Amino acid sequence: MSLLPGLARFGRFLGQIVWSTVSNPLPVGRALEEAHRIGVNSLPILLVVSVFVGTNLSVQGASAFSTIHAERYVGMFVALAGVREMAPIMVASMVAAKAGTEMASQIAVMRIQEQIDALEVMAIDPYWFLITPRLLGILLVLPALTMISIFTLVVSAYGVAITQLGLDGHTFLEQATATTHAMDLVYCAVKAFVFGLVICVLSCYHGFTSGAGASGVGRATNAAVVMAAVSCAILNYLLSELLFG
Amino acid sequence: MHLFDRLAALGRFGLFTTRVIRRLITPPWEIEEISRQVWLLCSRCALPVLATTTPLGMVMALQGLVIFSIFEAEQYLSPLISVATFRELSPVLASVLVAAQGGSSFAAELGAMRIHEEIDATEVMAIDPIRIHVVPRLAAILLACPLLNLLGSLGGIGGGFVSAVWIKGHPGTLYWSELWSMTGGMDLIGGQIKALVFGAIIGLVATYEGFFASGGAPGVGRAVNRTVVTSATTFIVVNYFLTSALFGVPH
Repeated sequence: MSLLPGLARFGRFLGQIVWSTVSNPLPVGRALEEAHRIGVNSLPILLVVSVFVGTNLSVQGASAFSTIHAERYVGMFVALAGVREMAPIMVASMVAAKAGTEMASQIAVMRIQEQIDALEVMAIDPYWFLITPRLLGILLVLPALTMISIFTLVVSAYGVAITQLGLDGHTFLEQATATTHAMDLVYCAVKAFVFGLVICVLSCYHGFTSGAGASGVGRATNAAVVMAAVSCAILNYLLSELLFG
Repeated sequence: MHLFDRLAALGRFGLFTTRVIRRLITPPWEIEEISRQVWLLCSRCALPVLATTTPLGMVMALQGLVIFSIFEAEQYLSPLISVATFRELSPVLASVLVAAQGGSSFAAELGAMRIHEEIDATEVMAIDPIRIHVVPRLAAILLACPLLNLLGSLGGIGGGFVSAVWIKGHPGTLYWSELWSMTGGMDLIGGQIKALVFGAIIGLVATYEGFFASGGAPGVGRAVNRTVVTSATTFIVVNYFLTSALFGVPH
């Protein structure tokens, strides 16, 4: 029953962000600061996760293809599954978990401590002051993080393929490069861009509409990461269909 | 100094884990509270789990058809989807969502209790806070994770069907008849073992972060943030070792 009013509130929130962003000067310096912070905070966990997703893909690919004696296609499998699908969605969910929850809980704390009302009293547009820099920052940095993650993933998959699985490294690279085109990387950047938008808007929305007290902040953070992960997974299908279908 | 803080936190986590596990394996159990938590967890996580595994199953069918149409081996599509779903997709994704939804709500609830000094109050009343607040949540996540993993597997296979058969025109009878041709009992059991291990990681990390939250409302936010990040990173690392151990290539 609360679905429609919630959607309406969300629509109004979106409109407000767009309006505040275009009708005020661009906060270039603070956007770069946010980009730097999001990137630096998320990079270590992203590297760890990329390494292990890559190694895992390699092991699974080899075990699946060995049943039909086609181990030489592991490189192609890693390139298709890892580069096109796993890397963008994985980066998105880790950034949603790290930077998204941080945004949600920071803004929620500002909301319950009435700092957002204080901004309004001082005639500073809170959407422009709090959300625009975060939005621009995440849009700048997420495609870059995705590229780094793709590189790490393929390198670690290659490492496991030649050491743990004893496959031929040359065939692996040949297969992988034959399957991946430059356009695939552009499409991955497009995906990352869309995911960044979704993560930032949903996290900020849940922060802005946070309930009172410590439990309100906890619930807002919780809802932000779940909504962001689910929306990214659904959008990922639509984007894959559109870009690679 | 930083390193010592890390080491101290690791030690505290170890102590907390042994305290929790000792109470988990000895009666009395709070059966009513455990079943309430299982129900809460399942009802909170079921929809997010389905809503992520289904689109990922659809994507897998989409990309799988690209690979297999090169070799004209489309009959391998549904075995690929079922093997990948049972072994990888469903345990990992369902657990990411359980961490995001269930784990973070544990951290938020326990953190709020800690901030409002409710945990200290139970201690003052000579009630063991770990037994009544932490153990039921851990037991619930251990029971719920395999169930949610099963649900996620169904979602992935269903999503693959929707995308391959309804959208891309892959023959539906072929999809169902080949579905189990490469999936063995080991894949199902291995997936459930993974789900159980990931559930234990999420439960312990979430209750630890919530139980030792400090610093008011921002502290609760930080606890939730750290829960999701730490547990997801840990079980993606653990996943690689579990995959190698459970499904490693036979030579």
